[in-house]
Amino acid sequence: MEKLMETVVAILGGSKVTLELFLITLIMALPLGLLVSLARVSGLKLLSRLMELYIWIMRGTPLMLQLLFVYFALPMIGIRLSDITAALLAFTLNYAAYFAEIFRAGIQSIERGQYEAAKTLGMTYTQTMRRIIIPQMIRRVLPPISNETINLVKDTSLIYILAMNDLLRVARTIVQRDFDMTPFFVAAVFYLAMTFVLTWIFKRLEAHYGKYDA
Amino acid sequence: MENMMHEHDVMLRMRQIKKRFGPLEVLKGIDLEVCRGEVLAIIGPSGSGKSTTLRCLNRLETIDSGSIEIEGQFLVKSENGAAVYAAPAESRRLVGCMGMVFQQFNLFPHMTVLENLMEAPIQVKKMTPAEIQPVAEDLLKKVGLYEKRHAYPSRLSGGQQQRVAIARALAMKPDIMLFDEPTSALDPELTGEVLKTMRELAAEHMTMVVVTHEMAFAREAANRVIFMADGNIVEQGDPQTFFRAPKESRTQAFLKNML
Repeated sequence: MEKLMETVVAILGGSKVTLELFLITLIMALPLGLLVSLARVSGLKLLSRLMELYIWIMRGTPLMLQLLFVYFALPMIGIRLSDITAALLAFTLNYAAYFAEIFRAGIQSIERGQYEAAKTLGMTYTQTMRRIIIPQMIRRVLPPISNETINLVKDTSLIYILAMNDLLRVARTIVQRDFDMTPFFVAAVFYLAMTFVLTWIFKRLEAHYGKYDA
Repeated sequence: MENMMHEHDVMLRMRQIKKRFGPLEVLKGIDLEVCRGEVLAIIGPSGSGKSTTLRCLNRLETIDSGSIEIEGQFLVKSENGAAVYAAPAESRRLVGCMGMVFQQFNLFPHMTVLENLMEAPIQVKKMTPAEIQPVAEDLLKKVGLYEKRHAYPSRLSGGQQQRVAIARALAMKPDIMLFDEPTSALDPELTGEVLKTMRELAAEHMTMVVVTHEMAFAREAANRVIFMADGNIVEQGDPQTFFRAPKESRTQAFLKNML
């Protein structure tokens, strides 16, 4: 019993790193993804193409490779980042690309009539996007964003390769030390708890944004 | 009718409007004038270019050649055969003189009825909510939907939504109202309430251009009827003469099918 408590406390310590990486990535990648999606649909050819290239690279290579690149390759050209900053950079750039594609699909699913109504009322493109299109888009993309967010919780475990003591690495260390599988179960419970909270939050958000549906 | 045809009372003037979608020429040189207080009904078979004509007026479609004047100012003018549009801000201002009502209503679904009316005056005219709210509420009373002001559009019937859409356009105090088949998406029993609202507007001498399939409305509420087919204006006249004694055989055939 005492040993279990010790395991839980150790893993709790590790989950601080996990949560930090998760929350900061989310807070940075969502707005960045929105900006990228707006650039993609802006009609500015060069900008749109550039974003397409960025998304292709981020989605076309493993997140693990991107992590290793930021961590090992950037110092070679003189850019030295702390462990957590390196992880945050790779995660944010990667997730922003996925979020951008979800936002873009959401924006493009809004009926042309909404743009036309706003235009005939004299609204500018910026006003139309900010007041009419994006609020409706957010409602529609909540389910896929929820999915991606839950993926992010689990992807945080990839930072074990940077030798950072996140939730899973702490658990594995104890398993290897004691030859006891319990820490893995404790880790699983921690992940499940986090995704449970996220699922609940997104359910509330969907209900909130769904109040105007028939 | 005090239908004075003085030059300064010309609200809209289209000259030799041509428009093609790819290989298809949808407007083949439309000439059209609308005077202050006039209610113009545009009728014709689908694909005749009547909706496109309306959509060219407020720049939802761009024209290939010709010119459009709104209250004496050029939205687009013809220079060496090409259509040259006014600068974006000027073009937005001119288009802003016109309100538009769509076949599919196009209300903002994430806003209440009242918010739908208040949005553009706040964003575009920079009015405060306190300034626009009484105006919006009066408009809702006028179209008989004041009680629904806090409802979301999805809770309203099609007829109610279209009346909100009319009120929303009126909240911008337009000089001209454009209607693009405003009753075509409605169940027959709901068209009456929308047409009634439109008749009331006409009675207040609002300048209106109405693309419609409602022959009764064209006959009773319009001052002038235009019949279009294949991208041309085939015939026009006052409704009495037009419906009683159409001159062109295409008009005769169309009216025979409609009645």
